[in-house]
Amino acid sequence: MINLAARDIGHHLVRFIFTGIGLGLLIGVTLTMAGVYRGMVADGRAVIAASGADIWVVQKDTLGPWAEPSSIRDDLYRSLAGLSGVAEAANVAYLTMQVQINGKDVRVMLAGIEPGALGEPAQVTAGRPLLRSHYEAVADEKSGLLVGDVVRIRRHEYSVVGLARRATSSSGDPMIYISLKDAQEVQFLKDNDSLIAERARTTANPAINRPGVPGLLDAVVATQTSSRNVNAVLLRLAPGYPAEEVKAEIGRWKHLTAWTRADMEDILVAKLIATSAKQIGMFLVILAIVSAAIVAFIIYTMTINKQREIAVLKLIGVRDRSIATMILQQALALGLIGYVVGQVSATLWAPFFPRHVLLEPGDALRGLVVTLVVCALASVLAIRAALRIDPADAIGG
Amino acid sequence: MLNPTANKEVAIRLSGLTKTYGQGANAVHALRGVDMTIHRGEVVGLVGPSGSGKSTLLKCLGAVIEPSGGHIELGGERIFDEQAGGWQIDDLRALRRDRIGFIFQAPYLIPFLDVTDNVALLPMLAGTPNEEARQRARELIEALDVGHRVGVRVSMLSGGEQQRVAIARSLVNHPPVILADEPTAPLDSTRALAVMRILNDMAQRYGAAIIVVTHDEKIIPTFKRIYHIRDGRTEEEAGEGREFTS
Repeated sequence: MINLAARDIGHHLVRFIFTGIGLGLLIGVTLTMAGVYRGMVADGRAVIAASGADIWVVQKDTLGPWAEPSSIRDDLYRSLAGLSGVAEAANVAYLTMQVQINGKDVRVMLAGIEPGALGEPAQVTAGRPLLRSHYEAVADEKSGLLVGDVVRIRRHEYSVVGLARRATSSSGDPMIYISLKDAQEVQFLKDNDSLIAERARTTANPAINRPGVPGLLDAVVATQTSSRNVNAVLLRLAPGYPAEEVKAEIGRWKHLTAWTRADMEDILVAKLIATSAKQIGMFLVILAIVSAAIVAFIIYTMTINKQREIAVLKLIGVRDRSIATMILQQALALGLIGYVVGQVSATLWAPFFPRHVLLEPGDALRGLVVTLVVCALASVLAIRAALRIDPADAIGG
Repeated sequence: MLNPTANKEVAIRLSGLTKTYGQGANAVHALRGVDMTIHRGEVVGLVGPSGSGKSTLLKCLGAVIEPSGGHIELGGERIFDEQAGGWQIDDLRALRRDRIGFIFQAPYLIPFLDVTDNVALLPMLAGTPNEEARQRARELIEALDVGHRVGVRVSMLSGGEQQRVAIARSLVNHPPVILADEPTAPLDSTRALAVMRILNDMAQRYGAAIIVVTHDEKIIPTFKRIYHIRDGRTEEEAGEGREFTS
């Protein structure tokens, strides 16, 4: 038996392909939106995985260090390291700021780590990790920096000694790793003018600058010019120790909040990007509806344009099932062309997006199924119209 | 495939066929008791003014609308009997496909099929293997002098060629009856007479009864028998049966 759908498509091939390309670009946008969402989730997971920690200890009752500000003393890590089940503990400091890279303002996340300890970038692809405790940096590959470049961060210049792969914040900003001491200075210390003004204000305070208490003023001023705070302490557990138990222990005895890896995923993936995910979800729904409407309109128009031919086909004995199959096959073929064009275009333009766009094979498969289902549903209108055509219309008039 | 029994065997017989649209005061009696008997190999004219019931009769004969009364016999089989409950055939599509041929005012070929497949589609629908159906189609296309256009898209054919392909399509399943609805309306005299000659040849060759609905004065003299339809009733009259001259 002749495949009527294939013959009709062949007859209007150019029009059909152009329609498929138009639909494909729309599907490409839909797949890209899904990829943007996946990229956000992947970024959130990547920053967690890159730190290598099992538990994050932060300021009490905060969602730190990424979702909320957290500040704790940098000597706490010693007592945390002594807890049962803790194999390693390290201080970290994070802050998002703007730096100049190749003459352009770039938003980056600065990560202060102790060289050789937890929190280091997972994969250094060029150069070397941080070794010195001052003025060295390891940057994300996509930051635009190269090994040997010099980047100015606040008052100091840092030499880029290495590049790291997939080192981005949960917001997609490239990360720059520097030593913890440098990061503490960047995050907590003030500029020279502020320090001079603060020192003058302290000196003028009679409660602090008391003649009978020598050394008090110097001690207070010393606290103002040094920082002993970090954002979090990362803990790595010894094999076999349940994270939940250590977390409960920290909460009970240390008056701090601890988050396990699962908690942190929930904070970064479910909570931090929840609104963005809903936004993208809405976009996907609208795009699916628009795609369905376009397919429905195209297939309906194609069917109505064949009204007389369909009446003749019915009159000469072609069954309704064959006509419905013809329309359904055309809708599916249109969807298939659109899907291929969409997949190719999404793959081609994804690298040019400023944020990580992750096109997962699972999403591609789901996209194909959704496209075919949407096309099949969209063809219902045209099939109904075709089935209502009276074979008697072919006779007379 | 000359049919020696043509003109003897009854292809279709209508008795007291009626068709009423609507009910009560709004009822429109399109057919008021039509009687017709047409033999195989015969080409008869069905002539009447607009609104006389020609299209309704054609639709009843083509099994696309159900008559209100009377009965229809096709090849000796009663296919419609109002007193027995209406259509006596379950699958009217198969009836149209296998036992009734249609020729329209315009060829109404399927534009996305080539010449051969336009003709071969019907036997394929009836379950004939593709190659056999195409072979049968090609033979008919050759017989209708469009053999040189086999494999060409129908949109590339002239109007006359398209009409001949449409005639081939109507004949391909060797139906006992072919219904031709104003097949010469858009044609000039020469082409109209050429189409009528083809229909007569084909009726003779394949033993089909061809009912030509027309009010084309050019071709009316070619019929040997004419049914005049007026206000839903038919009257039979002998035609001139004029020889074809081109």
